[in-house]
Formats: sequence, structure tokens, C-alpha cells
Amino acid sequence: MSTPTDVQPPTRSERSHRRPVSSWREHHSWSAGASLRRLASKPVGSFLTIAVMGLALALPLAFYLLLSNAQSLGDALGRNQVINVFLKPDQVAANAQLLAKQVQQHDGVANVTLKSPQQGMDELSKMQGFSDSLHALDDNPLPYVLEVQPQDGLSADAVGHLVDDLRGMQGVDMVQDSGTWRQRLDALLGVGNRAVLILAALFALAVLLVVGNTVRVDITSRADEIGVLKLVGASRAFVRRPYLYAGIWYGLSGGILAVALALLIEFALVDPVARLSQVYEGKLHVGGLPPWLLLAVPIAAAFLGWLGARLVSAWQLRRAA
Amino acid sequence: MGNAVIRFDQVSKRYEGGHEALSQLTFEVAKGEMAFVTGHSGAGKSTLLKLLALIERPSHGHISLDGQSLAKIGRSGIPKLRRSLGMVFQDHRLLMDRTVFANVELPLVIGGIAPLERGRRVRAALEKVGLLDYERQLPASLSTGEQQRVGIARAIVAKPNVLIADEPTGNLDPQLAVEIMGLFAEFQQVGTTVLIASHDLPLIKRMKKRVVVLDHGRLVADVAAEEVL
Ligand SMILES: Nc1ncnc2c1ncn2[C@@H]1O[C@H](COP(=O)(O)OP(=O)(O)OP(=O)(O)O)[C@@H](O)[C@H]1O
Ligand SMILES: [Mg+2]
Repeated sequence: MSTPTDVQPPTRSERSHRRPVSSWREHHSWSAGASLRRLASKPVGSFLTIAVMGLALALPLAFYLLLSNAQSLGDALGRNQVINVFLKPDQVAANAQLLAKQVQQHDGVANVTLKSPQQGMDELSKMQGFSDSLHALDDNPLPYVLEVQPQDGLSADAVGHLVDDLRGMQGVDMVQDSGTWRQRLDALLGVGNRAVLILAALFALAVLLVVGNTVRVDITSRADEIGVLKLVGASRAFVRRPYLYAGIWYGLSGGILAVALALLIEFALVDPVARLSQVYEGKLHVGGLPPWLLLAVPIAAAFLGWLGARLVSAWQLRRAA
Repeated sequence: MGNAVIRFDQVSKRYEGGHEALSQLTFEVAKGEMAFVTGHSGAGKSTLLKLLALIERPSHGHISLDGQSLAKIGRSGIPKLRRSLGMVFQDHRLLMDRTVFANVELPLVIGGIAPLERGRRVRAALEKVGLLDYERQLPASLSTGEQQRVGIARAIVAKPNVLIADEPTGNLDPQLAVEIMGLFAEFQQVGTTVLIASHDLPLIKRMKKRVVVLDHGRLVADVAAEEVL
């Protein structure tokens, strides 16, 4: 049949343009453009949506940042962890040295330092306020002390066993383990880690809802346009696609904003953490956001935006049909 | 008749809770024919066109388009059917926030045509309706008649075999109405089958085409083009 606009039959290029792959490409590029135009047509609303999502996603990131810094602080302190073994006052130098050798042989021990009563006295006398009262003493009341440094990365349980073993040794009066606070910190960090995960899940849900609601409002306000599209032969997928793209743009922008905010927080933390690090002789490594996370957050947010738009548009367009 | 493009066979339509809008309607439109459907308000003209575009389904009877039975087209097949039809509406149904070009382009985008080819065809269609200089404007800045012509350009841009129009001259002044009808006649001349619902009897008489007259949903007259006085 001849055609109204020009009488020639379809040319070869015209037919090839109808191939499914290229029509798929045309549909997607049109939808992507149309959705961007829509976001740009109401900049304030789009910005608010994106800002809400950015803030929602930045929160768990900020917590993650604080937590990883607390963790590295704990690690730094953990490396200084020393078990003080006080020997009984009747122990003489020879015994103390023998005991030190014995302890050195123990599995989990990295290093043992023997401190004589005199060394202890010297250290104390350097501390302000003590020197006068020490002069009043006739005898040195301090015992020999073994400063036991457990091996790096020894688990809390293993340290506990070591402490028990040390307590059981002959000539040992008292063992002072600074490791319990470390255990507590670890437990606390465990709770924190779990909290970050729950927080991230909740805020992911928030992103889903924010995008879903934005798309719902958008579809409602575009009922006329949707009607026209359907009348000129658009499939449900075609009608829906711009909204899915809008969801992706919202999610992606929100994710990028969240990462930018988190980097800002990280930047704000650099100075105080560096000062803290100095206190620990540079042993404290600043825990920044890992690059994979900076990449994963926008991608995950884009996916969430797409999902929210998909769920709502399926429901909303079916109602409109 | 072997060359019928539009075929209604004992078609009735009863809207939910309403009376019969069409009853036992039987008629055919041949390939390349142009026909008017007329009748007083509420006679069932719009309903007839809606059945063709599957905006509504008949309660009884059988409709076929281009040899294809509409009853066999499910929900997922409706877009394809509509892409094979050019439709013009009284209220033109343009996207008011898109340019004239973008509006006319729409069926081609949906058809998956590449941008270069789209541009060529959109301009050909706009030229046909005399609006080539308006492609960058928004519909709101156009007169009613110009808007209607944009709607016609959109209907013909994908080169449909069948063109249907519901009161395409409904709110145009008589001079413009004649021009628009002339456009439809031109499409008929290049082989398009055209079916137009209108209640403008003087205009219809002027066009000297076949006229199908409805009254309360019944076909009461079918006047061949040669018999139109
Ligand atoms: N969606 C609907 N629901 C119920 N009844 C309807 C619906 N659409 C049309 N009708 C009824 O069907 C009958 C035919 O309507 P239709 O719109 O087809 O008439 P028409 O010939 O196009 O009239 P007009 O010249 O006023 O446009 C009328 O009685 C109308 O009230
Ligand atoms: Mg009508």
C-alpha cells in the first residue's frame, strides 16, 4: 500500500532501523533523555528528593567511618597491651630471671621485660608528687615485675589463657591484665558494626520509599501524558521506562551526594585523628572510607532507585490502565 | 468484499450500566476508501471509533481491521494495533510540555526509528500539514487549528494504512474545517483508508464522500459518495 507522507516504499535503511536491537536502543535513549528532562523541569523538587536520599545514605557511612576509626584506635592500643606480672616480695633476682626466661618460652608471648624493684622505684620517683613520700621509706617495698607483651593479633581468649597460666606460676603474686577493656571495646564495636548494618538496611528502605513516592506523584500528575502515549501505541514497558530511569537518576545522584558528604566528614576527622595518632606514636592508622565502598554506594543507590520506581510504577500504571 | 480494511459484523456495544450505544452494526470500509460516520449527539460515533482502536471492546459481534480479528488481540497486542492506526482526536491530545516536533516524533520513537530518519519523516509530515516552521514551538503557542494539524501530522507520520478521526474539525471555523478535511482527502488519494466521525453535515456534504448515518446506535443510512447531494 502506498503511503501518505511520501509515496516511496520503505527504503532499505528504513527497514533496518526497525531491527529489535536498534529499536531497543532508541527506546532507551529516548527514555533516559525524557526522564532527565522531567527531573530538570522541576529542579527544586528533584533536588529535595536527592538531598533527602543523600543525607539518609550518608548517615550509615558516617557511622561506618567513626566505627572503623574506633576499631583502629582499639588496634593501636591493643598493640601496647602489656600484662604486668608482680612477683612475690620474697623472690630474689635469680628467681626473677629464671621466671622471666620461663615466661619468654610461653607460646603467646612476644617479649618479656624484667623490672627490678630499684627500676620501679626510679620510675615512680620521676612521677610528680611521689618523690617526697618515697624518700620517707626506709626499704624498697616494690616487688620484681615482669612486663609481658603478648604476641600481636592474639585473640582475647588466648590472652585470657596466658593470664591464667601466668597466675598459676610459682612465685607469682598478682597478674594485672589490661586486656579486659579491649574485650569490652571489641564487644562494643561488634554491637556498633551490627548497628551500622541495620541502619544501612533501614536507610536503604527509606531510599526505596522516597523514590517510590516521588515516582508515584510523578505518574499521578502525568496521567494525561500516559493516556496519550498509550493512544499512539506505546507499550506498558515504554510508558514505564522513563520512570525507571528517573529512579536510577535519583538513586545515583543521592548515592553520589552521600559519598560526597561522607568524604566531607572524613576530611573533617583528619585533623583530630592525626593528633590522636601522634599520642600513640603514629601507630594509629586513620580508617578512611575504602574505595570500593565509595563506588558501591552510588551503584547500590541507583539500583534501589530503580527498584523503588519499578515496584511503584508497576502498581500505579496497572491502576491507570 | 475481499478488500475491506474495516469490517463491522453485527456489532453491539453496551456500556456498563448504560443503554446500548451501538446495536447490531454491520458495515465495511474498503481499502483506500474515505467515509464519514455521522448522526446526532449520542448516536454512537465515538463509540464506533473506540471499538476500532480497542479503547473499548464490543459486547457482541465481530470487528476486523486489515483482515485481523480484533477479538483475538489481547491486552499485550493493543499497542501494536494502535501503531498501525493513525488517530486524530477532537481535543488533539498533544503533550503540551513538548515541542511540536517532539509530539509528531512520538509514534516514530515508539516504533524504534533512528533519530536521523525520525527527523526526515517528522519534517515531511509537518510540511504536509503546513507547519514546518513551527517545529520548535510548544502546542500552547499555536492556534486551535494549528494544534489540530499537529495532531494530524502525528497521526500520519508513521504512515498508517488506516486513519481514523473523531470530530477533527469540532471547534474550528468553517474555512479551517474545509482545509483540514481536504488534508484527509489527500491522504485518501495516496491509498490510506480514512474513517471520520463528524456531525457537521454541511461540511460532509461538501466533501462528496461516503456517509454512514447512525441513530441511537443503529445504522439508518449508508450513502455512497456518488449519491451525496
Ligand atoms: N464510557 C461510557 N460509559 C457509559 N456510557 C457511555 C460511555 N461513552 C459513551 N456512552 C454513551 O454511549 C452513547 C454513545 O456515545 P458516543 O460518545 O459514542 O456518541 P457520539 O455519537 O460520539 O456523540 P457526540 O456527537 O456527542 O460525540 C451515549 O448515550 C453515551 O452516553
Ligand atoms: Mg463523540
